[in-house]
Amino acid sequence: MTLGFEPDPCAKCEEMLQPYLDRELTDTERNEAEGHLDGCSYCRKRYRFEEELRRFVRQAAVEEMPPDLKTKLAALRTPLH
Amino acid sequence: MSETSPEAEPRKLAEDARDRVRFEEEALELADQVYRVARRLVATREEAEDLMQETYARAFRAWRSFQPGTNLRAWLLRILTNLNIDRGRRVQRAPDTQPLEEGDYFLYNKLQEGGDSQEERVDERLSQDDAVSALSAVPHDFRDAIVLVDIGDFSYADAAQILEIPIGTVMSRLHRGRRILKKELADRTVGSGV
Repeated sequence: MTLGFEPDPCAKCEEMLQPYLDRELTDTERNEAEGHLDGCSYCRKRYRFEEELRRFVRQAAVEEMPPDLKTKLAALRTPLH
Repeated sequence: MSETSPEAEPRKLAEDARDRVRFEEEALELADQVYRVARRLVATREEAEDLMQETYARAFRAWRSFQPGTNLRAWLLRILTNLNIDRGRRVQRAPDTQPLEEGDYFLYNKLQEGGDSQEERVDERLSQDDAVSALSAVPHDFRDAIVLVDIGDFSYADAAQILEIPIGTVMSRLHRGRRILKKELADRTVGSGV
């Protein structure tokens, strides 16, 4: 059985892009993806783009909790008798 | 007949109180992280605050059903997502027919236009508000998966447990959701003249 990239290595690499960035690939799959990325500047560019895009969205989407909410949540605790 | 000794009952109550206090403290320590996810599952800050309070009120009541040693953050978010569904905030259904075939490359190609560095293109051509509004435009089912994995840092397995769906469904929702997100971002990019 072959886990190689034929017939279309870039298509296979593309398929692995999301789980790769989500750190959900097995060691074998990750090695396979990284092996291809080492030699393929097109896929490397795509991976870098996806990574950068995620970082950007994540940074923009994170909103810290208002401080008074924590006080409100703490007030919901069961009172000690 | 109960064989409980007279001292056993107060001791049991004291242990119970100690476990409850520990649970409550641990849950409160996670509130910041839970809020970050909650905030992007709903449209407004007010909704997120209401949802957090309902979640914590329920968690504090149901603390005995949490199994110590398991993932408390995932447990809290499971309560939160269930409450979110119960409150009927998911009126919108996912559009299955939206044409997204080119979605994955569309944004990439659009940001490539006239640019040299990919990294600079994202920051230069999209604002933080664009990113937030694009994420809000992703239908709930898909957005939930994206928010849990990308903002909450949950694994596929945790997200599957929180949303009570199979891992394969988490993966397909992420795949499709990210395409929708990129399409929404592409619609918001400036300076391409498209």
